[in-house]
Amino acid sequence: MIELIHIQILSALMFCIGVYGVITRRSAILILMCVELMLNAVNINLIGFSAFRDFSQNQRIFGHVMIVFIITIAAVELALAIAIILRLYKNKSSVNVDEVDLMKW
Amino acid sequence: MISLIIFYIISALVLIGSAGVIFSRNIVYAAFSLFLALLGTAGVFVLLLAEFLAIVQILIYGGAVVTVILFALMLTKIDDFRSLSNINYWPVSAFLSLIVLITLILGVSQAKINTQNLGLVKFNDFSNDLFEYWGIPFEIASLVLLVALIGAIVILKDKGNDS
Amino acid sequence: MGVNLAYFPPVICGISFILTVFFTRKAPLISSLISVFAILSSFILFIFILIDFLSPNLNSIDFSIDWIDVLDTRISWGILLDSLSVTMLGLITLVALLVQVYSISYMKGDSRFGWYFSVHSLFAAAMIAVVLVDNLLLMYFAWELVGLGSYLLIGFWYEKRAASEAAKKAFITTRIGDVALLIGIILIFKSTGTFNISSIFHIANNGGINENILTISTFLIFLGAMGKSAQFPFHVWLPDAMEGPTPVSALIHAATMVAAGVYLVARMMPLFSLAPYVLDFVVFIGLFTFIFGGTMAIVMHDIKRVLAYSTISHLGLMMLSLGFMGIASAIFHLIVHGVSKALLFLGAGSLMHEMEGETDIRNMGGLVNKMPITAITFIIGSVSLAGIIPLSGFFSKDEILLTVFEKGGILILFLTLIGAFLSSLYMFRLTFITFFGSLKSDNSKIGESPILMTLPLILLALLAIFMSALLLEISTFKGFIFFISGYKAHLNLLLIVFSSILSFVALILAWFIYIKDSKYLTDWFKLNMNCFYKLLLNKYYIDELYQYVINQIVLRFAQFIALFDRLVVNDIGVDKSSLSVKSLGLKLKFIQTGKMHGYAISMVIGFLILIFTWAIL
Repeated sequence: MIELIHIQILSALMFCIGVYGVITRRSAILILMCVELMLNAVNINLIGFSAFRDFSQNQRIFGHVMIVFIITIAAVELALAIAIILRLYKNKSSVNVDEVDLMKW
Repeated sequence: MISLIIFYIISALVLIGSAGVIFSRNIVYAAFSLFLALLGTAGVFVLLLAEFLAIVQILIYGGAVVTVILFALMLTKIDDFRSLSNINYWPVSAFLSLIVLITLILGVSQAKINTQNLGLVKFNDFSNDLFEYWGIPFEIASLVLLVALIGAIVILKDKGNDS
Repeated sequence: MGVNLAYFPPVICGISFILTVFFTRKAPLISSLISVFAILSSFILFIFILIDFLSPNLNSIDFSIDWIDVLDTRISWGILLDSLSVTMLGLITLVALLVQVYSISYMKGDSRFGWYFSVHSLFAAAMIAVVLVDNLLLMYFAWELVGLGSYLLIGFWYEKRAASEAAKKAFITTRIGDVALLIGIILIFKSTGTFNISSIFHIANNGGINENILTISTFLIFLGAMGKSAQFPFHVWLPDAMEGPTPVSALIHAATMVAAGVYLVARMMPLFSLAPYVLDFVVFIGLFTFIFGGTMAIVMHDIKRVLAYSTISHLGLMMLSLGFMGIASAIFHLIVHGVSKALLFLGAGSLMHEMEGETDIRNMGGLVNKMPITAITFIIGSVSLAGIIPLSGFFSKDEILLTVFEKGGILILFLTLIGAFLSSLYMFRLTFITFFGSLKSDNSKIGESPILMTLPLILLALLAIFMSALLLEISTFKGFIFFISGYKAHLNLLLIVFSSILSFVALILAWFIYIKDSKYLTDWFKLNMNCFYKLLLNKYYIDELYQYVINQIVLRFAQFIALFDRLVVNDIGVDKSSLSVKSLGLKLKFIQTGKMHGYAISMVIGFLILIFTWAIL
């Protein structure tokens, strides 16, 4: 049977892969994808906790609701991020984040 | 038992997809790997008896998000695939993410929550809760979506061309 | 009916202050009318309250609303009405009313006419609050407002350097006492847990306060009273306060500022009576100030200064009476003295008004024909204060002498009589030099003051004559002494005769010296008393002594403190810390690289730190 720990480990792995990607990748679009990975890792974790009977009905529903909200916010974040990336591309003809360092001291 | 095997297969798909996102040298492949990982996530949802969320996952992530990302790729012409990854950062990054992983797994194993029975969250209960108890946050979330829509348009609109 | 309105007098005057300050700045005449109306309605309220109070079954009323309620500590806005506070309310509202009416004419044409009346309202409100409130915290609050009012009024003509200096002097000198008072109040609060005056008395009577603490705190409270009432070491501000407009002097001397100290001691008498050492100290200070002020009043040439030292002296007399727990006689003398002194000051103001600000009595003389009303009322006031028999001043002084005689013994009575003799002497001197003798040629065109100024004079003069009627027993009213303290007044014939003889001796002596200009006497004085005279004229060099102490000790110490402040507090404490933050910021700003990867790494590290902290805790 599937146990909670399996799902948690899957979620942790996916999250760490996301973290690795956010730090190493240069293209803003790829960083965005890695952020999506991390969000999905969180979703998996949440669904894991809300799938088992050991928790109360309210807690489990709460997990589901949280996932709905996370997906919503992820969509919002994606829309704005893509808009910013496109604007960036228009201005600098590049989407590499290490070339955009005007906002410093 | 069967469900465990299926879970392992799906987990493998998810992890392969994730690894593809971070390792692939071609950005379009990376996008498709992401799609794979997201589909795998939907599979996990199905396995854990959350069909509705699985459908939402496929529709929004698989349908919308990946499409939008592909559009973004299309609109930004990137020739230099070698510059996708920053070679200088990978040891730091690997180290840090490993520590995060170890921390998380340690934390999980410390918690030792023994669970046995999978249970279905009835769709009725879920939707009642969502629209009654969580009604106002839900509406606010829709407002946030609207604001994001307008914001995206404003960001992308050329300012000089109006006059 | 009246007692329920006891909240209103201070509130009305306070509202009048706010109205006149914020809304009628452009219309000074309206300001003055508002102010006079406020104090008039307060006076009318006083009459209602008094009528209620004269019914025999009413002793004291204490009603309040909660203000602060924290744990066990409850502080309230409340009114304590008893015969003492009602009496004070009457004195304050009456004198303030007459002074304000007088001021309308006296201050006419002044550039800050409206502001003058605003401050008068504030002053009256604060003083009424001092006598009415039922807890020490509010009393302290009002007490400070009285100080503020006196500061503003003494320094009313702040363009004059002397006036602003005098205002500062008054404020700072009384401040020393105020700090002591505050400490005393806090000490009492610490040991009783309440500010409410009646509860404090209750606790103190049941032995709830440690004896040492009681002694110390009453001593400190008395220091506060000394500051406000210009007792010996703190008396220096009162003569200088003459720089303010003359009606202000009348107000300060008669009803408000200096009366606050006497009232405070009278109000706190149940505490003082438990601290016999402090009472001895009160007696000592009162007696000393009585004689000390009298000696200086004899030699001053400035009419207002003579009156000022006379006030100091008489306040000493009241304190002396309080030291023997003679509240009733002290308060009776406070009223009589207040009325007489207000009369004298307003008379002096009337003189100055007609003589274009002249205050030196050597330039006056023979004015009795030129300004008959002013002269006659002034003479009535001085005769009353000098203690000539049918006037009210005699009876009030006699009450105090009686208290002293019964409680203090013959030696203190003797010293008190010396002081009484002095006070008669300087009052007659002042009167004779000012109004009798030959008319100076510069003064030949002087006329009587306008009706608004003479009317209060006449009223006050009538009061000064007939105030002694307060001692009489009329139906249920058993006399003022009984009203305040609950025991009947009585007379001692020997004492009456003796003090009357003394006053007449003073009268005759003054007549010979200042009117007949007797060569024999003046020569004798010049020969034998010259150095003493010089000492008196320089006010015992106390101002110089204070100046020396301030220059040599206070300022030195202040310089040291200033150095400490500059080097340690400023350079190290403030500048150095701010500079270090600034330089740290200059270095830290390079963390903001603008490189997104760096930020991401920092985020992950921060996340790890959070998790580990949480795990460890």
